[in-house]
This record gives sequence, C-alpha cells and structure tokens, in this order.
Amino acid sequence: MPRRISIRQSVMAADEKIAGLLRRKLSEKKILMLNLIGSPGAGKTALLEATLKGARFRSAVIEGDIATSRDADRIARTGTRAVQINTRGGCHLESHLVQKAMEELDLDGLDVIFIENVGNLVCPAEFDLGEDMKVAVSSVPEGPDKPLKYPHLFSRAGAVLLTKVDLVRHIGFDRGLFWGDVEGLNPLARKLEVSSLDGSGIQEWIDLVEKWVGEKRK
Amino acid sequence: MHEFSLIEAVIDSIEERSREGSWGRITKVTLKIGEMRQVIPEILQFSFSVASKGSSMEGAELVIIELALEKRCRSCGNSWKGSASRCTSCGCDDTETVSGMELEIESVEVEE
Repeated sequence: MPRRISIRQSVMAADEKIAGLLRRKLSEKKILMLNLIGSPGAGKTALLEATLKGARFRSAVIEGDIATSRDADRIARTGTRAVQINTRGGCHLESHLVQKAMEELDLDGLDVIFIENVGNLVCPAEFDLGEDMKVAVSSVPEGPDKPLKYPHLFSRAGAVLLTKVDLVRHIGFDRGLFWGDVEGLNPLARKLEVSSLDGSGIQEWIDLVEKWVGEKRK
Repeated sequence: MHEFSLIEAVIDSIEERSREGSWGRITKVTLKIGEMRQVIPEILQFSFSVASKGSSMEGAELVIIELALEKRCRSCGNSWKGSASRCTSCGCDDTETVSGMELEIESVEVEE
C-alpha cells in the first residue's frame, strides 16, 4: 500500500522565500519597489522615460524582456541606472531573477526601483517579486474591455494607469466602461490617466510615487 | 504559459523532501489550485508528464483539486462566491479572499 504524506506547502515556496528576502532588504534600505505590468506596447517604457525625466526621487530600473537590451538602453539615455534581464522565452519575471539584478544596483543611493515586467497581461500577475505594489498599465489603443478580460492583474494592482490618453480624440475610448470595470474589480486601486507624449497626468503620477516614497521612508 | 514554471517548482520541492525523507517511488501528487491563479489543468498535466521524466515521480498520477473563488466581508461577516469585489450584502469594500488563490502541494503518495 502506498503511504500518503501530507505536504501543505505553497508551490512557489522557494520563490516566495526570495521575494520575502527582497522585501525585507528593501524595507531596511527604505526603497520603494513598483512592478509595472502591461501588454507589449502599452507604453511602459515611455511612461518610465517621462517619469524619470520629471522625478526628483533617485531611481533605478530593472527591465524584463524576452530578448534584447533595447528598453534598458532607452532608460540609460535618461541618465538612470538600468539593468536588463533577458528571460529567453520566459513570459514573466521571477523573484530570483530580480534578486540577481538587484545585486548590480547600489541600493544606498536609491529611493525607488521600477521593475518593468515582460509585456504580458497574464503570467506576471502571478509572481511576487518582493515589490510594494503591482502597477497595471493599460493603453487606449488596447480598448476599454481589458480589465474584465484580464481580471487577475487589475484586481491585484495597487494602481491602474491608463496610458496614451492623447489618442482618445483620434480613435475614441469608452472611459466609463474602462474605469467602471476597474472600480468593480478593485475599488481601492489608485486610478490615473496619463500621456507620455503630451505629458498630461505625468506630474500627478510622479507626485503619487513621491507620496509612496515618503510613506516608505517613515 | 506559466504552468511549466509552476510544475518545475512542484517537482523541485517534492524531490528535496524525497531526498531528505529517503522516500521510495512517488505514485501520486495532489495539488490544490484556486481559480484565480490562471492555471489551465490540462497544461499542468502535460507539463508534469514532461518535466517529471527522470525524477522520483515519473509516471505518477497528478490530481488537481480546483477551488472556486470565495470572499468574505470583514465588516458584516457575509461570504459569497464569485468575483464581486464589494460585499454583496452591505456593499462595503473591506473584504478578504477566503479561497481561490491557493497554489499548494497538498500531499503525495509514496511506495513503501
């Protein structure tokens, strides 16, 4: 007869342990970590470029992509330290990859680490990277139906950013539907509209991150 | 798409326990998966059959217990099934998830 052994352990125990270590380290160093998640082309890198140009806080960026260092190169051009992780086909970042990238950063001179996750609305929502908050990034051209179609990300995010709002007057966008669905999934999320192209909403976003940096320092 | 990563994590942690406990061949692995974890059982089964080759659980049966999303209101104690984020009784947003987020290795069966 086979013997049954009770295990009752999280599948991701090893990765959650690393995420916990990173969270403790960031807490000691009083560094805010934000995990940006959105589709390929949602404007995550453009949002970061606009943020870094206007921000007073000291930042570093961890870039997750399947291939190339194009995003890290773009971030480096703003004068910000960027570390590129190539997942070589992997559809999301995991905490051990972030741990390795963090070793390349000088944590003593930082207020914020932005992680730009692999472009994907599904898998990245499932993995704890030790961040303070997941930020959902969704753009106008993707259409207003994404929150309900991808509820896992939108219901777990601490903030939801609608990007490329300068395009609304050209292609239309049902804001009521989008924000109504976000509200239904996640009443507590911070909700902002931004355009990295014309700069609208960017200062409000920077102010919000600054507020979180202040809270983290306490 | 992340099912393969999950299965690799399952196999790694069971293999570690198996070595520590000097277990025999593993014949059955039971997982508890909440519906909010975006896991497709068929892909998990396929990933397991591929990734377990050469391990102590090669050929083992994989049982997946799926758990529905259930939430509870911290304010009035009401609980409900489904994704409604506000309490279906008092309408407040002080809610917690009771089940649906599980991603757990529940048990294994080992040959004596």
